[in-house]
Amino acid sequence: MNGLEAIAAHNGWAISVVGVSIVFTGLTLLSLTISQLHKVIKFWDERDKFSQQVKQLWKKEEPREEKEEEEEEETIPDFCLAQDIDEITRQFKLLTKRIGEPFPLPKLLEISERCGLFRPHSAINYLLRTERILPDGKGYFYWNENK
Amino acid sequence: MSADVQTLKSLEIFSELAHEDVEEIASLMTPLKIMEGETVMRRGDPAHTFYIVLSGNFMVHFKDDRAITLHNRGDIMGWSTVITPFQYTGTGVALTDSEILSLPGQNFLRLIQGNSVLGDKIMKKINAVVVERMPFVSEIRKESEDN
Amino acid sequence: MENLTNLLTEFIANTGFALADYRYIIMIVIGLVFIYLGIAKQYEPLLLVPIGFGILMGNIPVFKGLGLAIYEDNSVLHYLYFGVTSGVYPPLIFMGIGAMTDFSTMLARPLLMLLGAAAQTGIFITFLGALALGFAPNEAASIGIIGGADGPTAIFLTAKLAPALIGPIAVAAYSYMALVPVIQPPIMKLLTTRKERLIRMEEPREVSKKEKIIFPIIGFLLCCFLAPAALPLLGMLFFGNLMKEAVVTERLAVAARSSIIDSVTILLGMTVGASTQGDVFLTPQSVGIFILGAVSFGIATASGVIFAKVMNLFLTVKINPLLGAAGVSAVPDSARVVQHVGQHEDPTNFLLMHAMAPNVSGVIGSAVAAGVLWSFML
Repeated sequence: MNGLEAIAAHNGWAISVVGVSIVFTGLTLLSLTISQLHKVIKFWDERDKFSQQVKQLWKKEEPREEKEEEEEEETIPDFCLAQDIDEITRQFKLLTKRIGEPFPLPKLLEISERCGLFRPHSAINYLLRTERILPDGKGYFYWNENK
Repeated sequence: MSADVQTLKSLEIFSELAHEDVEEIASLMTPLKIMEGETVMRRGDPAHTFYIVLSGNFMVHFKDDRAITLHNRGDIMGWSTVITPFQYTGTGVALTDSEILSLPGQNFLRLIQGNSVLGDKIMKKINAVVVERMPFVSEIRKESEDN
Repeated sequence: MENLTNLLTEFIANTGFALADYRYIIMIVIGLVFIYLGIAKQYEPLLLVPIGFGILMGNIPVFKGLGLAIYEDNSVLHYLYFGVTSGVYPPLIFMGIGAMTDFSTMLARPLLMLLGAAAQTGIFITFLGALALGFAPNEAASIGIIGGADGPTAIFLTAKLAPALIGPIAVAAYSYMALVPVIQPPIMKLLTTRKERLIRMEEPREVSKKEKIIFPIIGFLLCCFLAPAALPLLGMLFFGNLMKEAVVTERLAVAARSSIIDSVTILLGMTVGASTQGDVFLTPQSVGIFILGAVSFGIATASGVIFAKVMNLFLTVKINPLLGAAGVSAVPDSARVVQHVGQHEDPTNFLLMHAMAPNVSGVIGSAVAAGVLWSFML
């Protein structure tokens, strides 16, 4: 026996409808119960409200942890210059002339490594922290003409 | 080796969490020292680990050589550990000697799924960071998913 | 010399090479594929690797009567398989699931539980489909429960109603659970508009510790009074959750969600895989089960999404209809799929937390559905 005949013969429709109804009823009831649960708990808790208030008067506030004062941000980032800063800027500007502006920072790093520049990662970081190089907001960078 | 609780508490991403939650996260995190030029994560690799910067500077570069730079304590990398398709969308390189906190992605996901209030707070913070970097990062994510 | 030859001939006749036929080979290849998917592709490795290796174990051709095969009474595999056929393993797994699940998002927004209920419609529609295809009612019920996307529930019910089908139903259920990220997104996108997918959910309220402790007790009493046949599964689920939330029993909860669930998963996966012997598994019936299983998943996903859209007709604060797909109780995969599909439209829309609510209520719903079907078939 197949098809709709089989379903009817085995009471399939009734089982499905009742089954879905029971699942829905169960979860709906649970959902309704849960939705009221926090209100019931709150109501139960407020029975002791007065004693809670009395306890609050005697309860000392826990001392707050003092926030550590933040150290002043370094104006010069941690980079030991073995060479003149202006010289580094000049060298990197020469490199960016080859790739144009705004330039991709990874590309600049790659070229500077290939050219054997001294500690190119730190150098680029220094240029960024001193705002000689600025981000354009689209993932690329350009020279700050004001510096 | 786990991270220091006070250190975590001072970070923006965990600043609103309860002490017990921060303790739990601290037990899962490991501090790492990274050298200048070292690659922390690679674009396209499975996103196994989530990172938070404690000190130092990083560049995260994406497809098309677009990049962002991280200079602040509390900056995050590797958020793809909690966002599908769980593949790093960028390559993270240290621009200076740095210290970071690492959190295995599986532990992070388990933490978020096991405690939804905690997960909600952390995801909001991550969301804020992602939105800030959104202008071009969303294009890159979309392209990487299509590929 | 003749004795030597006879012995050698007899030995060769009892090796797997002599006893094998094409069905065993096919099943061994299937087992290898499962292992590959689990290890190399990392599709549900905790399930596919034990099942895959179990398939290999169950399809080594052995001489019957030596107490080696899983269906032989005095074999080791048979003793381990007892936990499946008696329905012991699934409730233990449910206890572990309860001990690792946070019901907060569901408690904060109980309305989303209805999405979990709606997704279980797939079970009953598939039940009808299986009846129409000529399966007996108890078999049809076991096939329908695949749509609950809950491996332990599917194995539990099948062990009670149609033990002969445990192998194909379990393999179908776990295979489709691993394929949730493939099956669900097209259905979700088909049934929703871009505007609907962009709906942002309200932040859920804070849920107190007391609520989280009281909920498993109330949930257990309510669900089991309504559907007593769901007692083994829901009892263990809520018990596990109570141990987790009570804090004082944290040690027990840790055991439940780590060593116990892992041990049982190993034994369940391996023995279910071993039960899929070629002569039992490779039948036209199994093909029908696989097709119906896929249909069941699809209908469950569609039901949840459509119900969410219907709810939005009456709600002032709309819910994102993608959450309906998370009613399919493949925790947490279907919630992650919702997150992924939602983020595809708006990368700043984090739906994962909200999707966990229908996801975990789907676990409860599928267990209730299993209990209901079991009681109808008694």
